[in-house]
Amino acid sequence: MDRREFLRTAVIAGIGFSIPSPMDFLNGPCEAYAKSDLVVATGPNPAKITRAAIEALGGMKKFISRGDIVVVKPNIGWDRLPEQAATTNPEVVAAVVQMCLESGAKKVKVFDRPVNDPRRCYVQSGIHQAAMAAGAEVSYIDERRFRETTINGLVLKTWPLYEDVLNADKIINVPIAKHHSHAKLTMSLKNWMGVMGGSRSHIHQRIDESLVDLLLAIKPTLTILDAVRILVRNGPQGGNLADVKRLDTVIAGTDQVAIDSFGATLFGLKGGDLGYVRIGEQRGLGIMDLSKLSIRKIAA
Amino acid sequence: MKRLRLISQALFVVLFLFLFSQTESKGVDELGYPVRLFLDFDPLVLITTLLSAHAVAVAFYLSFIMIAVTIIFGRVFCGWACPLGTLHNLIGTLEKTRSHPSLRQWYRFKYCLLIFLMVSALFTLQLVGIVDPLSVLIRSLSLSVNPLFNSGIRAVFDSIYDLNIKAMSDASESIYTLLKKGALSFYQPYYRQNILIGVIFFFIVGLNLYEKRFWCKYLCPLGALLGILSRHAFLKRSVSEGCTSCGLCTRQCQSNAVPEDMPGKINLWRQTECIGCRNCDDICPQNAISFGFGKEVRSAPIDVGRRRVMASLATGLVAVPLLRTTPFSKKEFSDSSLIRPPGSLEEAEFLKRCVKCGECMKVCITNGLQPALLEAGLEGIWSPVLVPRLGYCEYRCTLCGQVCPTGAIKKLRLEEKMRVKIGIAMIDRGRCLPYAHATPCIVCEEVCPTPKKAIWFEKATALDRGENKIEVKQPRVDLELCIGCGICETKCPVRGRPAIYVTSVGESRSRENQLLL
Repeated sequence: MDRREFLRTAVIAGIGFSIPSPMDFLNGPCEAYAKSDLVVATGPNPAKITRAAIEALGGMKKFISRGDIVVVKPNIGWDRLPEQAATTNPEVVAAVVQMCLESGAKKVKVFDRPVNDPRRCYVQSGIHQAAMAAGAEVSYIDERRFRETTINGLVLKTWPLYEDVLNADKIINVPIAKHHSHAKLTMSLKNWMGVMGGSRSHIHQRIDESLVDLLLAIKPTLTILDAVRILVRNGPQGGNLADVKRLDTVIAGTDQVAIDSFGATLFGLKGGDLGYVRIGEQRGLGIMDLSKLSIRKIAA
Repeated sequence: MKRLRLISQALFVVLFLFLFSQTESKGVDELGYPVRLFLDFDPLVLITTLLSAHAVAVAFYLSFIMIAVTIIFGRVFCGWACPLGTLHNLIGTLEKTRSHPSLRQWYRFKYCLLIFLMVSALFTLQLVGIVDPLSVLIRSLSLSVNPLFNSGIRAVFDSIYDLNIKAMSDASESIYTLLKKGALSFYQPYYRQNILIGVIFFFIVGLNLYEKRFWCKYLCPLGALLGILSRHAFLKRSVSEGCTSCGLCTRQCQSNAVPEDMPGKINLWRQTECIGCRNCDDICPQNAISFGFGKEVRSAPIDVGRRRVMASLATGLVAVPLLRTTPFSKKEFSDSSLIRPPGSLEEAEFLKRCVKCGECMKVCITNGLQPALLEAGLEGIWSPVLVPRLGYCEYRCTLCGQVCPTGAIKKLRLEEKMRVKIGIAMIDRGRCLPYAHATPCIVCEEVCPTPKKAIWFEKATALDRGENKIEVKQPRVDLELCIGCGICETKCPVRGRPAIYVTSVGESRSRENQLLL
């Protein structure tokens, strides 16, 4: 950090501290609503709308404390290019990483356990380069670091989960919204398959219950759903640009069930059409009913 | 001179090991380095491929450089550059014996082997890869030594990691990370036949403990070819009047080129055997030996003997029908497990070109390409076969075609590659979860990489034990769309024998091996 940059950061931080947070009035009696608040930001620049969405939620400082070790978990599951919309938009990932570091995070880790070859997925998705440039520590999954974790869920009693996620101070989920032949759509909840070890493909036998079970073990501070481009058919891999729809949108919030419920509407579905959203609400792990949520739509 | 030679040998070994370590994906489409460079320089591969396939290797012109160098300087490749030769030198330091007098005449054997290989290649049987030194080296390192090295190193660091003592594992992990970046493979590699290939390799190298450079003197067919080319090489060795016939040069000669009896008798110098190491020049106490151009020196001819030549010719000739009268050569016969990498030529043409160097198997991103044993007949031994249960063919990867030195696997553009069928998948309804057990599972469809998925679902109703109706999605394979990449088989959660498996039937390269009209 050079002098000019330091001064600029100091001034911006000063201004930030001196104005009251617009969310302050929500604290106290309305906390339940504040927790489920969603921000839907739309605009042509993925990094800009990501920043705007997080600012509208109260800024990254609300979620990240100085010295935190943060895991940012995008979807890097497939050997596809960003425009094919099978992996999280790299600019969205980079913006989140940058904001964490600006908020004083000590380290931001980015990783995923892809289905295709990790080297190809990381590079072809553009996430490796973008996240590195933003200052993240990008690493491949180390098979030795899965830890058998007690979940006590409906289906998953224990499962090997990735140590770095379990040990992180803060977790940020950055999934992409895509079609999936079995779960119907894959968004926030399903993104956590990427930190499961072992023979995770077995969970397809009871996919909805299993995904909700994962909510018990992994609790992200913040979720940003990438809908800059969504994959509407032949998911979760796609490959045909005709199956990609450009929405130039990101959705930010803290309730993953609510986010996935809102995400369903992008595909002309309702939250209730998704088994895991329904079960998530039944088990009190989030809100499905969009009318109960305060949703802010902003353009950036 | 010796120091200069050692520097040259070291440089070539470093270059070789560097290219070897770069024969691995970095996630981008191209490798970035010409990893097959050593094979491009190999004139034996060039000539035998020309004979067997009437086609030239991809970068064949590079081996003309080696031919030219040999015609001018003699077999300096063997003495100064060949990485296998350097390895022989290295192991040879453990043994004193330079030469068993009784073996000296066996130098002819490598010429017999060369004749055998040339004749069988002329009649379309390409066996050179089994014994070509560079093929042997790359194959053995790729399929046997490198996996062994990786496993050993990983075991050491894993056990330190498992001790779970923070200070220690912090230190070891940082070294491990460094090793992973340079020396180790991305994943632990696993190959069938690693033991067989390793034992052969260690035997070849171990021969140095019987006699230094045993392989180079008696067995190496590339050495034989270069020997023929160096018969009248311009750089010659001459011995001046000062020679006292002390015999030191004979004992120092690496390759039995200096005559055993009467070392001073220059007309017995075997120029075809000399690998230009200059030991004799260095050691001569009288300084009587010199190498130079434009000298009038008579040297010994290659005296294989007419009968041995005839026998080698005959063996080469007989080998062709012998190896071609197994069922594998019968046109109507196809072994459905013989799945060749994408871009492979039609089988007969493929076998005429493949030199079994193992580069494609080393570079294969999923470790799915494995050496064949007898699936393709004896002539196809160690040629690449995809074993989808071990690893699939990555949809957007074209690396195997990029590294193939002879074009047995064509280099395909990505768009072409994604259309090539290497087989088709079939479903085993007796094991598939939705079919056999009315249990949901969609893994094969989820991982299917074609933009319009080759696996689709037929909705069906099954009955459970209590006669309740259950909706199940049963996977079906669209034979038009399936390219046989095998990811469905690799990822099929039915352990052991998979519920979906790929066969070579339907492969683009074959006219006969088809299922559909």
